[in-house]
Amino acid sequence: MALVSGPGRAGGATSDQELHTQKHITYITKLDTVRASFQSYFEAFIDYELEYWLTEHLRLNGVYWGLTALHLLGAPEALPRQSTIDFVLSCQKENGGFGAAPGHDAHMLYTVSAVQILVTVDALDELEAKGKGAQNGKGGIQKVGSFIASLQNEEGCFMGDEWGETDTRFLYGALNALSLLRLMDLVDVPKAVSYVQSCENLDGAYGVTPGAESHAGQVFTCIGALSIAGRLDLINKDRLGAWLSERQVDKGGFNGRPEKLPDSCYAWWVGSSLAMIDRLHWIDGQKLAGFVLQCQDPNAGGFADRPGNMVDVYHTHFGLAGLSLLKFEGLEEIDPV
Amino acid sequence: MESHNIPRYKPVEKTEEARQQEQRKIEEYKSLEHEVSQKVSEHVYTPDTLKKISDLLGRNPEYYTVWNYRRQVMRHQFSASDVDSKGTEDKTAQPVVQLIQQDLMFLIPLLRSFPKCYWIWNYRLWLLAEAQRLLPLPDARKLWQEELGLVSKMLSLDSRNFHGWGYRRRVVETLRQLGSPEEAASMTKQEFEYARKKIDADLSNFSAWHYRTKLIQRLLDEKSATDDERRKMLDDELELIHQALFDPDDQSIWFYHQNLMCVFDPSVAHRTMAPHLSTPERLQYLQQEIELIEEMLDGAEKCKYIYQSLIECTLLVSKITGNLSAEDHERIVSWLSELKQCDPLRQQRWLDFERALQSNA
Repeated sequence: MALVSGPGRAGGATSDQELHTQKHITYITKLDTVRASFQSYFEAFIDYELEYWLTEHLRLNGVYWGLTALHLLGAPEALPRQSTIDFVLSCQKENGGFGAAPGHDAHMLYTVSAVQILVTVDALDELEAKGKGAQNGKGGIQKVGSFIASLQNEEGCFMGDEWGETDTRFLYGALNALSLLRLMDLVDVPKAVSYVQSCENLDGAYGVTPGAESHAGQVFTCIGALSIAGRLDLINKDRLGAWLSERQVDKGGFNGRPEKLPDSCYAWWVGSSLAMIDRLHWIDGQKLAGFVLQCQDPNAGGFADRPGNMVDVYHTHFGLAGLSLLKFEGLEEIDPV
Repeated sequence: MESHNIPRYKPVEKTEEARQQEQRKIEEYKSLEHEVSQKVSEHVYTPDTLKKISDLLGRNPEYYTVWNYRRQVMRHQFSASDVDSKGTEDKTAQPVVQLIQQDLMFLIPLLRSFPKCYWIWNYRLWLLAEAQRLLPLPDARKLWQEELGLVSKMLSLDSRNFHGWGYRRRVVETLRQLGSPEEAASMTKQEFEYARKKIDADLSNFSAWHYRTKLIQRLLDEKSATDDERRKMLDDELELIHQALFDPDDQSIWFYHQNLMCVFDPSVAHRTMAPHLSTPERLQYLQQEIELIEEMLDGAEKCKYIYQSLIECTLLVSKITGNLSAEDHERIVSWLSELKQCDPLRQQRWLDFERALQSNA
């Protein structure tokens, strides 16, 4: 992977449209949420702000978003590998699932983040040997897979945890993590696929449950799941592609539903969905990149939802992922699934 | 960490006083958190623990693990109350219905301040499911019934709130299951009127249009409507959408129009309100639509949605007849050339379509 030496530029873009690569790297590595993964996280955080403590429930997601963003920026070594692994493993519960931070309850969302981080830093062998349920250096991976599989319900969808909330976000997450762990055979994939199909609307897009309004985030989870299951053939690609391409508004950004405001994170949700059905060229990539770049904080680094708003690690990750999808110069390429 | 719509502000150097104040807040928060997890791990499921949990959730409603603590404490109180009703000594236990009502009340200000927080909505649904599990049917039903008022209020504050609409669907679905078939049917009518009210208030509200699509299906199915009744409903909907289209630049209205056109598409008609129209009927409806939409071009020559719709309807005609006439082909080509002009963002989509059209000619 090539390291980025300087800011990238959109073709023909004006001077305020450069990508502030170094600023973003600094922004991410200085984030309290990410810092926790490589400093010893149980030391006293005297300097941390209240915000740090109020966002503990997102710690593991934050590490994943920050880590991926750094990979895209060509600076994967900016987070020390071993402490990242140690932090992730410290979030695991006895049932095999992961919580957002040490001591927090296991939940699908954080279990998926944990698996994604461990795969990104190539550390599944450590999970296998040192994870919960491992005996004689073996079995850690299976334990995580069993936790995820235990959350599939009768309809084929997945619950977030033992308390029973279901959502296609969890279904996608489950299939994503299981495919990374090579344990897809632990669940009923055809049933999951037919559940996804039941969420399809007449506009060709998908909602969060059967009967729910189409939403770009849910389109991503549904076709991401179909892609992992090898069933992209079930999608009406022209109709869905049309709905997705209509998410682009005049300013260049994407919204998540008809007649809503654009938001930089949809550069990823919509863009990757279009890429999965080979329709990414149906939108104006240069105008989209222009919108996302306007969401940068050119001084302190990071991306916001809209130009001029507060930046955060979530939008920084998805903004960069969106730019990467557009093969923006100076960013590593990303897999849409 | 995930912020929406918060204007960027310049960081200011904190005064010593502000810094100390923040430190105090952190210490309070940390000690409260410690105390709560300590109590829960020791199974001290008392009203005092519940109070501390409430305090913690008020400071941080995103802390999902603490919502799980709350569930554990509530379950414990439910079972204590249950024992009490069987005549044991514990007279301090409150009836389950009261416990649930109090807890539902506790959530209201949180929902008002954090309407997009998944965990609060989830917890509320869990609580209501507990009501269903533990209470006599009329009591449970009454609690669910009250949720309709709450969610209407939420949707009046933000008429596109995704959580709000999802929650409404869940409430209505449950009430339907808990009531008689007659009650279920009157529920559907009531919801149909609600969706109409939301549409009238804002034609751009696609959430309401979407809800309407689903309700029409249910309304017709519940009264086992005849094909004639279904056709009548279709006519009414077409009339409504034609009135709404006086603003031809509103995407929500066009998507509802597109939904309606599915009635004439032989491959998806079975999923629509009028699945059994004859082929001549379908063609006749489409012809009317094409004429009417073409008239809309007068004064709105730059409106891309009009051209898109004309192309879609004409392609549907060819799908039904199995052949695209030379005349229709020519018309599509001319609409397409307009479309390429007035929709530059999706230029490549239209070029792809143009190629497909040429190869099929």
